[in-house]
Amino acid sequence: MKCESWMPLIEQRADGELDERAAWQVDQHLAACRSCAAFLERLRAEQAVYARYERDVEVTPAIWAAVEAKIREEPAQGAVSALARLRQWLSATVGAPRLSPAMAAVLVIIAVGVTLGVISLKNSGPAVPPNGVASNGSESNTPATPPSGPPGVKPPSSNPLDDVTAASKGSGTAGPRGRAGSRASRNPTPAQLVREAEQKYLTAIAILSRDVRHRRSNMDPIVLARFDSALGDIDRVIAETRRAVRQNPGDPIALHYLLAAYSKKVDALREMATD
Amino acid sequence: MTATGVAGRPSGRAGAVMNTSQEVIRRARSGDEEAFRLIFERYSRPIISFIYDMVGRRELAEDLTQETFVRAHRNLGGLRDETKLSTWLFGIAKNVTRESLRSRVREDLKVAIDDDRVRGLSDGGLPPDRELLNRELNGVIRDALQNLDDDKRAVFTLKIFQQRSYEEIAEITGSSIPKLKTDLHRARAEMRRRIEPYLRVNHEV
Repeated sequence: MKCESWMPLIEQRADGELDERAAWQVDQHLAACRSCAAFLERLRAEQAVYARYERDVEVTPAIWAAVEAKIREEPAQGAVSALARLRQWLSATVGAPRLSPAMAAVLVIIAVGVTLGVISLKNSGPAVPPNGVASNGSESNTPATPPSGPPGVKPPSSNPLDDVTAASKGSGTAGPRGRAGSRASRNPTPAQLVREAEQKYLTAIAILSRDVRHRRSNMDPIVLARFDSALGDIDRVIAETRRAVRQNPGDPIALHYLLAAYSKKVDALREMATD
Repeated sequence: MTATGVAGRPSGRAGAVMNTSQEVIRRARSGDEEAFRLIFERYSRPIISFIYDMVGRRELAEDLTQETFVRAHRNLGGLRDETKLSTWLFGIAKNVTRESLRSRVREDLKVAIDDDRVRGLSDGGLPPDRELLNRELNGVIRDALQNLDDDKRAVFTLKIFQQRSYEEIAEITGSSIPKLKTDLHRARAEMRRRIEPYLRVNHEV
């Protein structure tokens, strides 16, 4: 049997779709065939790339609102009165974002802190990457100013995302560190630095989303639904801030609001991934 | 999840009452809109991702997600096996998407891979920044997906991104297992050809 004929079987083995006997046969072949073993490695590398795929689409409250409106136009399945539905909708809308006041406060604090940092950066010369966008309210509320950096901006090594990335990707952190010197020599603008931080958040979000996805089936459906709802609220903020960034690409405040929203999403996902 | 994260919804129904998916479905069938909202909240994310992968356009994906859940609500009584709600919803999404794709000019969806971009990466020039690379890679994956035919795209998306078993994919798509195995193998090969330069650079960076 040629290697080409083994490929579909190796894929099915990677997918966990072979019975024990067939899986054993594939394993035996993989142990003996360097070419097929390399194919399996490539397959795994592809899976890792696909796991990082980010879509430009989110579930927004508007989608549910539209679904609900259409459902209401149809003959009722049960005897739920319009008043009861309205009450449910209002209470859900008001109740859902308990996160929102806290998040709004965090957004404001972080935005102010980082904006001050950017202003300070512009005035003082040496560029400090804004990697240290606080990951939660308590950190961003810390009044103490680090001696080596502007208020609200932590040094790069304390970026919580570094921990997430390092823990999840192992050697994946070597590259960015190796390029640190070249970045500094390029003298990136604050906007570029913020965009780099954005990309780090997106990477962390992709990794954590995958972890949470793997745990979903074991989670309590009610907790899961509430979590998804909270995540939906955060995604709405992200979508709004993204829109603001698109409209005003040079506006540092819009960019920092976006980062703060990403930070909140990382926190929420990390909480569910490690709970 | 903190208490703040899970609390805050006003409904007096505690988890003890609606503590299983089956219970949520039963309540939704009897007209409990909050229960249907819970179903939406749980499944809308994977459904919109699947639809987006199928159509490649955000606004259309949002519209088709709406339509999927409206149909699900309308036909909830027809769901025989409550443990297969997820598969059933994906099946509806697949049908809604297929109808939409049929009604549109296919050429609209075909997005050519940016040959210069791919060529630049494989020419061994300066290693691109990883973050920029990831952003580009997202675009390349999205475009490459759109260049698969509908069957292959559905199978590929359901397996690779939604981690569905072959059996579930067969139920969702209506394909036989042998056909979906073939489609998946070919889809993987086509996708591999598109993303290969990025795989190499990702490895090198």
